[in-house]
Amino acid sequence: MKHATITETTFIGDANLRLTAKPPGRPIHKMLVSFSAAYFAGALVTDLVYWQIPDVLWERFSIWLIAAGLIMAGLAAVAYVIDLAGGRQIDTPAWPRVVGYALAVLLSLMNAFVHSRDGYTAVVPTGLMLSGLVIVALLLTAWVAMALANRTRVGG
Amino acid sequence: MMHALRIARSKKLPRLAALLVAVVSLGLAGCDENGGDPKGQIGANPVLPELQQYLIPPIRIAKVVGWGNDAPTVAQGLQVHALATGFEHPRSLYVLPNGDVLVVESNGPKAPISRPKDIITGWVQWFAGAKAKDANRITLLRDTNGDGKPELRTVFLDHLNSPFGVALVGHDLYVANTDAIVRYPYQDGQTSITAEGTKLTDLPGGPIDHHWTKALLASPDGSKLYVGVGSNSNIGENGIGAEYERAAVWEVDRASGAHRIFASGIRNPTGLQWEPETGKLWAIANERDEIGPDLVPDYLTSVRDGGFYGWPYSYYGQHLDPRIVPQRPDLVATAIPPDYALSSHVAPLGVAMYTGTDLPANYRGGAFVGEHGSWDRTPLNGYKVVFVPFSGGRPSGPAQDVVTGFLDANNHARGRPVGLAVDRSGGLLIADDVGNTVWRVSSNNARSASNN
Repeated sequence: MKHATITETTFIGDANLRLTAKPPGRPIHKMLVSFSAAYFAGALVTDLVYWQIPDVLWERFSIWLIAAGLIMAGLAAVAYVIDLAGGRQIDTPAWPRVVGYALAVLLSLMNAFVHSRDGYTAVVPTGLMLSGLVIVALLLTAWVAMALANRTRVGG
Repeated sequence: MMHALRIARSKKLPRLAALLVAVVSLGLAGCDENGGDPKGQIGANPVLPELQQYLIPPIRIAKVVGWGNDAPTVAQGLQVHALATGFEHPRSLYVLPNGDVLVVESNGPKAPISRPKDIITGWVQWFAGAKAKDANRITLLRDTNGDGKPELRTVFLDHLNSPFGVALVGHDLYVANTDAIVRYPYQDGQTSITAEGTKLTDLPGGPIDHHWTKALLASPDGSKLYVGVGSNSNIGENGIGAEYERAAVWEVDRASGAHRIFASGIRNPTGLQWEPETGKLWAIANERDEIGPDLVPDYLTSVRDGGFYGWPYSYYGQHLDPRIVPQRPDLVATAIPPDYALSSHVAPLGVAMYTGTDLPANYRGGAFVGEHGSWDRTPLNGYKVVFVPFSGGRPSGPAQDVVTGFLDANNHARGRPVGLAVDRSGGLLIADDVGNTVWRVSSNNARSASNN
């Protein structure tokens, strides 16, 4: 109950503030990055299933999930530029996140090509390994970025 | 690769990114690998390199430019002229006993999009001129005075469903649509059929229908029809269930419509012929893609009753394809290597055993093969009509180029040969589905020359 009240107050305050100075809003790209990460994670799951049950249906799930993840990543890149230009809050330090995410997206792009092969070798072993690497890259990026953000906060 | 590394470093990118750039460049560099000389893959024992898998499979298609006023080039002792032009994607030919030529104008049904790749494939096919409207009709050409210029051109049969094979037995004309064999009543000299067809049997058709052409050949006694049914995928990527009774030559009983699998494991048997000396069934076949510019050679082979020719599990006998799981060692053990390789990705789509007398004597008894041409290989391969000499019912020498010039000096496609047929006076007819022409090759002697 208390929480709801706060939200309402904040909302009204925010609306008033907009008239005077533009506040740093929530960055758009973060949401899109989360979407792409979820798609890539889904592809790893469907790859694992295909590895165990080689039914083409699972390979098709994988390639569409990877393709959707790549589209989201493209949109995230555009949104990132808009966020930078619009002076929205970007988590500092930004470089580890950008590099780690870019690496994951490039691996996914390679993975999309591997998954476009015909037959079993579209997934096993290279596609499955790439799907796994993408998730490792994303997790490491999140972990490093979090650690660095904490250190920056403590240090600053 | 070192070059890519240097570039990456010079831009002071983090080391991981540099490594990634290097890896991606390596993957792309793989696409530049050219195929070897096709000569090593023609004949009974083709050289088969190690198979390779691509990050980005090569796509190399010839841009379509058309013929203008040009014509194909023919071997010595032959001449060529356009029998008729202005067709819509002519795919196959059939000559009726009275000399009338049937031109099957056809294209495949719309392919479904199951993967993002299928969208790309659609663009590639459009660029290669393979996305022509499906005319779904058979046109009749009649050249009464034998001057090589038909006086009559009529729509023989219309509203078909991606037709390809045609066979006449007595007064029954069979058309192999992509999904069924249909019988029509035919009277000698008829120039148009309006009667409703009667379905003899269903054939494996949609919704995927990856290889849609159905070649058709009647047995000499007319009791059976043989049908070439292509696979529903390159290498099983649509699931093994989609391949039920496909990649096979069917034997259909003409009286009942019942069928059995005469031979299997032939990825895409696009043409069937009787070898004139032994009376055995021979077929041309299109082999699998995406494992290298020199794999797997397309072939011409005798088709044994009950024989298994490898697809999808293996090629050329026991060479396993790792893209198909689970494997079938029991079937692979029985896989028959084809008799005669035509080299890789030439796409044979028409075959005619020559029993006529008009062409020079060295062509008698051998097989003409129409090679539509490669789309995934550098340098381009095929795009010509070749002749495979036969002796004692077996191929007896290297394939010779008979009709070339389908590619111009810039490797642009002026046309692409497809179905072949021998007309009543012994001329070789060639359907050209990009030049939209039917070419006629005849002997370059005084008699024929005076007719032009």
